[in-house]
Amino acid sequence: MQANRRLFLILTLLVVFGSLGALIWTSFTGSLVYFHTPTEILATGTSKAGQKVRIGGMVQAGSLVKEAGTQKIRFIISDGANQLPVRYEGMTPDLFREGQGVVAEGPWQPGQDFMAATILAKHSEDYIPVEMSAEGIARSKESMLRSLQ
Amino acid sequence: MWIELAHFATIIALLLALLQIATPIIGVGIQRPVWIRVARQSSYVVTLLLTLASAGLVVSFLNHDFSVKYVAEHASRSLPTFYLVTALWGGHEGSLLFWAWLLSLFTTIAVWRHWSTHASSIPWILSVLGTVISGFLILVLFLSSPFERLTNPPFDGRDLNPLLQDPGMVFHPPFLYIGYVGFAIPFAFAIAALINGRITDEWILATRRWTLFSWAMLTTGIIFGAYWAYYELGWGGYWAWDPVENASFMPWLIATAFFHSVMVQERRRMFKIWNLFLIITTFALSLLGTFLVRSGVLSSVHAFASDPGRGVYILIFMAIILLFSFGLLVLRADRLRTEVQLESLFSLEAAFLFNNLFFIIAGLTVLLGTLYPLAVETLSSAKVTVGAPYYNKVFVPIMLGVLILMGLGPLLTWRGINESRLRSSLVKPLGVSVMGMAGCYLLGIVQPYAIIMVGLSFFALTAHLTDLGRGIARRMANAKEGILTATVTLLTRNKRRYGGFVVHFGILMMAAGFVGSGLFQEEKNLIMAPGDFTTIHHWRLTFEKIATVKGSNWEAQEAIIRVEGPQGLTMTLHPQKRDYQNQQMPTTEAAIFSGFFEDLYVVLGDAVTDNTWAFRIYRNPLVSWIWGGSGVMALGVFLSLLQGRRREVSRQ
Repeated sequence: MQANRRLFLILTLLVVFGSLGALIWTSFTGSLVYFHTPTEILATGTSKAGQKVRIGGMVQAGSLVKEAGTQKIRFIISDGANQLPVRYEGMTPDLFREGQGVVAEGPWQPGQDFMAATILAKHSEDYIPVEMSAEGIARSKESMLRSLQ
Repeated sequence: MWIELAHFATIIALLLALLQIATPIIGVGIQRPVWIRVARQSSYVVTLLLTLASAGLVVSFLNHDFSVKYVAEHASRSLPTFYLVTALWGGHEGSLLFWAWLLSLFTTIAVWRHWSTHASSIPWILSVLGTVISGFLILVLFLSSPFERLTNPPFDGRDLNPLLQDPGMVFHPPFLYIGYVGFAIPFAFAIAALINGRITDEWILATRRWTLFSWAMLTTGIIFGAYWAYYELGWGGYWAWDPVENASFMPWLIATAFFHSVMVQERRRMFKIWNLFLIITTFALSLLGTFLVRSGVLSSVHAFASDPGRGVYILIFMAIILLFSFGLLVLRADRLRTEVQLESLFSLEAAFLFNNLFFIIAGLTVLLGTLYPLAVETLSSAKVTVGAPYYNKVFVPIMLGVLILMGLGPLLTWRGINESRLRSSLVKPLGVSVMGMAGCYLLGIVQPYAIIMVGLSFFALTAHLTDLGRGIARRMANAKEGILTATVTLLTRNKRRYGGFVVHFGILMMAAGFVGSGLFQEEKNLIMAPGDFTTIHHWRLTFEKIATVKGSNWEAQEAIIRVEGPQGLTMTLHPQKRDYQNQQMPTTEAAIFSGFFEDLYVVLGDAVTDNTWAFRIYRNPLVSWIWGGSGVMALGVFLSLLQGRRREVSRQ
């Protein structure tokens, strides 16, 4: 009887937490979103087609176009070496403007304009998304300058 | 002047904190209690000195002393006085000093309260807490000093980040810190017990109130953060599984596991190693939380590496504390074997075991999601984020499991319950649960998760209420009391148990809020010209005009929106877009109507043409239940805290 109970307990534990573990594993791998610069993502060819990605860089000066009377915008994310045209519809974050760092998230469709579902901006004093860090922005600025020379 | 005084006070405080580490060890070694008293006096003086240091920094803020780098970076002449004071913890350097000050204050209180009652533990408590304080003070003094002067002081400061100029954000960090720091006391007691080798349940009994108090503060801090995100960030939600939020959520999860499982040790002498493991982990995660948020490592591991001194120091400090604590635990593990075995699956012990596993898995889930991107970035150059869907998918089943256990809690007994008795006591809660689910379905709610959550919440609620009802009825019959007196005496007779019940009621309210706002949020994006109107659910919003308003350090565009709701309810909402003068950063101020059943949340966007503006409107059901539920939880903790130790001891 005692042994039976123990077995029952252990089986219950295994079933409950085994399935939780499986759930964690599957949803974890499915929720990873990789970050790329325009150069990196353009180099992937079609291998990332359909995947959700984040693209980071600068909003190229002079590239921001607002469609009159709508919330649709078009702009170009540039890392200096390469440019990626982006489309977005909706409210932009407070810090979104030309010449500033930006991160756009959406499904990657090679050969088309990047349809951003979300646009990210700085969050608070101490925490900013990886791609928005001063170092990340400096890097894309640097490569932009290099390409201008 | 003030800042040099503060700096000097901190240096002396560090020296005394080092003395506070060493003297108790010597005192115990040579059997001379006077050495331990030296450590006690040092700990008192450290508190005084750190109070002085913090005050010095605050005075520098009030004096607009922009020659102090920290002040210049976190304040300006136009910043309201209130925010000048709270800017003490507005940045990295100041918040570390604030942390150390809180810890010294708690050390003083702990030493003063437990000096004579826990004489054998006190030396080690002093040493352990002295070590943590020294660790922070070295960081403050040598690696991230708030006392640094600028050679060319600017005329005006850079101002506090506008997003942080909000009462919610002002109270968010101190509550979190009080929670984090509070866990240092049970941690020190646990380490003292391990060093002493006299590992009884004494440390748990002594620190019950410390743990509860810290947990309540941490909870409040997290809720303040969520509240701030909801009211200030303008995206219609309150929790985004952002690494910064996760950092505070991890210690909360493990602390929750801890104070459930200590009950098993108190009543059944089981889980001894486990409890020590949990409190060490809780405190380690508190440190990790502070450092993750404050070191800049979350924005990029390269930011961490770009300031190698600070990064390496933090890693070494954490490593020492972890190695020492867990090493000690392993060394003493043989003394901690339990003779008692788990007897039945249908017992409180087993329920608490499952509870703990759920919370540990929840903690691991968050840890994985928070640290994995850092690991990837360190090992390869790839950058990755873990999306909110991961957490949501994992946390929903965990929440369901926890609700089942919460409902079973009042039905189960220690050592196991007769299965037929369990079956009969399940009838009522299960009946109500089924009725609740059916009611939901009839009201038109078809999402399976919502129906299951409602069912389980009703199950847990009924189980608790039945237990309360039975107790009240027994008192009314036995002591011939009226229903009100009976309720009050019952609640106050066993404050700890019923305090726990009240906390559970708060959790259930919050769960309702999570389900309501998570599954039933409605959102509308649109463009309106003055005079236009729109509807969302049963609300009708008319955009009347745009006005310009001014605050002390900002100027804003404000939309005037007339709202007509159900039952003839009318009001005006004023969503704003603000520009702060000293920082080139516009902020969005959402206008929110908070009702009992739902919130109406309006955000003003940019002008689309000369005469039209973008708006985003949300209807968020039951959000106020989250804030209300946290209040109920606080009440429950307060009730539970009222129960002193003597009763617990005498009851056994």
